[in-house]
Amino acid sequence: MSLADGPSFLQRVRRARSRVFEYGTVALAFQALLVYLFLYVPIAVVIALSFNDSRHAVVWQGLTTEWYEALLAGETIARVNPDAAFQSLVYSIEIAAVTVLVSAVFGTMLAFALDRYDFPGKGLFVGLVYMPIIIPSIVMGISLLLFFNIVGMTLGIQTAMIAHIAFGISFVAVVVAARLQSFDQTLEEAAMDLGANELETFRYVTFPVIKPGVIAGSLLAFAMSFDDFVVTFFVIGRDNTLPIFFFSMVRQGISPGVNVIASLILIVTLLVVALAQWIEGPVW
Amino acid sequence: MGNEHSVDGGESPVRRAIRTVRRNQWTGLVVNITPSAFWLTVFFLIPLGVMFYYSFGQRGAFGEVLLGPGNVGLQQYKLFFVPQDASILQAIWWTISWMVDSVVPFELGLAAGEPTPYVQLTIKSIAYGLVTTLVSLAIGYPTAYYIAHVAPARYQSLLLVLVILPFWASYLVRVYAIQILLARNSILMNALGVLPFFEAGQSLMNTRFAVLLGLTYIWIPFMILPVYASIEQIDFTLKEAAMDLGADRFEAFRRVIFPLSMPGVVAGSILVFIPTTGAYVIPELLGGTQSQMIGNFIANQFGSAGNWPLGSAGSFILMGIMLAAIAIYQRYGEGDLA
Repeated sequence: MSLADGPSFLQRVRRARSRVFEYGTVALAFQALLVYLFLYVPIAVVIALSFNDSRHAVVWQGLTTEWYEALLAGETIARVNPDAAFQSLVYSIEIAAVTVLVSAVFGTMLAFALDRYDFPGKGLFVGLVYMPIIIPSIVMGISLLLFFNIVGMTLGIQTAMIAHIAFGISFVAVVVAARLQSFDQTLEEAAMDLGANELETFRYVTFPVIKPGVIAGSLLAFAMSFDDFVVTFFVIGRDNTLPIFFFSMVRQGISPGVNVIASLILIVTLLVVALAQWIEGPVW
Repeated sequence: MGNEHSVDGGESPVRRAIRTVRRNQWTGLVVNITPSAFWLTVFFLIPLGVMFYYSFGQRGAFGEVLLGPGNVGLQQYKLFFVPQDASILQAIWWTISWMVDSVVPFELGLAAGEPTPYVQLTIKSIAYGLVTTLVSLAIGYPTAYYIAHVAPARYQSLLLVLVILPFWASYLVRVYAIQILLARNSILMNALGVLPFFEAGQSLMNTRFAVLLGLTYIWIPFMILPVYASIEQIDFTLKEAAMDLGADRFEAFRRVIFPLSMPGVVAGSILVFIPTTGAYVIPELLGGTQSQMIGNFIANQFGSAGNWPLGSAGSFILMGIMLAAIAIYQRYGEGDLA
């Protein structure tokens, strides 16, 4: 190849490609911006529309707070009954609270068992612990429905609690086990050498170290329970939780009342997460 | 030892027994594992077993479930996979040719028959899962790369939190948000009217696009996070080394950086594929009758269609798809789930 030939076609392509990649950081920043817009614009639109001064359409017609005022005053807005919404919120909180209490204790104990002991069939058992997280919720919900039917248990918030605890245990156990992996067990041995019994060792040495893991796992269990629709839908019978109440509203169409409920759910959950972040650092 | 024995000497036999039990190496295991093992067995494993047993049953004339000795068999799975009056080999061939036919743009007419509607639905659900996974990867990878490597270090954790935050916001409300955006005369639909081929004010609800958009919107954080974790650990001096050795930026990315980020890509893909294929709420709210997925089929069998054994069989076929995906992940991916 002589100098007069100039670069070949392939070389030219590579140079052009290289130039594109040189400006790649700008393109990447722009692309990331689009993804963040994609994530937040729908949420922002819901909140904006809850202040929309229009009874039916999704078209913006001016700012109003009348829907909030009416709902908070206990009026029914476009089929949304605030009393029913409040009752479902109370059920949601009750179920989530019981779920967190039970699954935090059981899940932490389970994490200890998995971290500290080897036993025959452990691999299979670990698989069982992961399964409620991985399995499609619809399969879990319907299989529990069949089971409650056969055993003859009346469906209601108590069956929903049982179901939520089943997956809550898994979430807590996985998070706490991750925390336990980096735990220095010689600290426990030192405490025992100094005369502490098992419970005292746990109370004064182990628990303070794994506390962030337990809190993170509990928050996750709370969020999963509070937000769960599919499993609850099949096992709760005639009672409503907030997601189920919301689902039945959405089924009937878009309305200002639904927008207000949606915005309230969004704002409250995001505030709780922000608070948890502020207290405990990252919560995942 | 002698000393210890003399201390023990003053204890009652009951206390000594308690002490022995407490010191036994298995006590901790039994105490810690029993509550969870009980709960997971009784309220998770046994219900699944019941459902598995039901999937071998038969529907009676009035929608009841027959589980007698004469009724238990593989008939529901046969009904699911094999069209009437066809052999198993024919069913396989018809399924393959149907898949080929729906991919190529022209009519091939390979086979004499079609697979059962249930098989068609299952393949469609897997396709929804795969497309969502690929779209999430195409959109999520550059974003994860940006957060991990390009963005200023002090903004990294903020950018990550912003990816996680929607995951904590209510699932149903976010699906509803997509519904609002795609509804007739919504802000987005009117804005899209500037496009030459798009008529302002129409609705994109109840379409395949709506379902895919909803699935991607909900599950994309699950792609970004593992990919970010993978890229964040890469030693980028390797990229410089590749470029010193003559690779251009593209080649250095393709041959060095991307392969090193594979564990995150595989983990993200499985985390997106599994929930999207088993989705129930999103096709229910965003998709019309043409965009139903296998999750809706299962729910229907337990609801209006009233065929519990067929629904149970469908559930276990869906679980089989999940297990296959996880098996592929463990074969080609690295490390554990989660």
